[in-house]
Amino acid sequence: MEFAGLAAGIAVGFGVLGPGIGVGIATAAANEAIGRNPDAAGAIRANLILGAALAEGLGILSFVLGILLWTRIG
Amino acid sequence: MGFFFPHGFEYPPDFHIPPLTGTELVRIGPLSYTNSHFTMLLVATFLVVLAWLGTRQKREVPSGIQNLVEMLVQGLDDFVVSVGGAGARRYLPLFGTLFLFIVTSNWLSVTPFFGQVELLRAPTSDYHVNFGMAVIAFVAYQTDGFRKFGLPYLSRWFNFSGFKEGVFVGVIMVLVGLIELFSELFRMLTLTLRLWGNVLGGEIMLVVMSGLLLLPGLAIPFAGFEVFIGLIQGLVFGLLVLMYFVLALEGHGEEHGEEASHTEASDYRDGSHAQHPAVQGA
Repeated sequence: MEFAGLAAGIAVGFGVLGPGIGVGIATAAANEAIGRNPDAAGAIRANLILGAALAEGLGILSFVLGILLWTRIG
Repeated sequence: MGFFFPHGFEYPPDFHIPPLTGTELVRIGPLSYTNSHFTMLLVATFLVVLAWLGTRQKREVPSGIQNLVEMLVQGLDDFVVSVGGAGARRYLPLFGTLFLFIVTSNWLSVTPFFGQVELLRAPTSDYHVNFGMAVIAFVAYQTDGFRKFGLPYLSRWFNFSGFKEGVFVGVIMVLVGLIELFSELFRMLTLTLRLWGNVLGGEIMLVVMSGLLLLPGLAIPFAGFEVFIGLIQGLVFGLLVLMYFVLALEGHGEEHGEEASHTEASDYRDGSHAQHPAVQGA
């Protein structure tokens, strides 16, 4: 396909915008929660890692689309 | 010398990105067995041998491999109980197996020779393996939902109760139910692609970083990052499967006001009689 390379680049480029902002917001909320209640830092950190992994999963979905298009270049 | 450089010694290194799925090793009739099958066999053997070595002599005060195995099982048990309540112990075998298999496979993807030699390939970097695990989990939690509710379990997707309040609301609720059904089926796809994207993407990133950073050894921090991601993704897969079980058993619409993560012990059908938190110590 002629535009497969361009499509892959655009797909991945736009695809990681959302998760990037999402993980930033999650980290901000987690840091504020730790600031209010430092004793719960362990539990909050665990929830943060979990939320970040789930948000990043959607970014990975667009990366998979990029791989799929990359194999069809030319 | 050729053993350590499967593609020959090149400087600057060239990018040998691993193929997207397994390559066939053996063909028996219509079935083809790939290098993913072979490595899956290795992982399964490793886990079985670990379990066997850990339970040979059951000492009261554990040491050595028995200590390691007990720590693993205790850690997983604590996690499952913290997520789903005491009744969720019923799902500890499924969760533990998924977690151990996925984490071992992910860590194998960072090991030397895996992904570069034709015989060895990390199983989770092949989407067929991940899809198989997702289908197993899907069938398991749907079966548990049917077991608890019987045929009315389907009423959460084919929702004709809105027609009581008017035709328009009824039609909307039917469409909402169908969208929920699509979301349920879509979970299999997201489970597969999340894990596959992370592992294969990690392998591609390691190959590309090793190719761009000309000095050997500079890509080791990226390997460390991949080890961390492999652990987290195994945890996320298992945790999502647990949450799907909890959501399937919680009942349609009744308990949205309560905490979604702690269901009643009586919801779980294994007859475990965990005490209700309000009654303990009375």
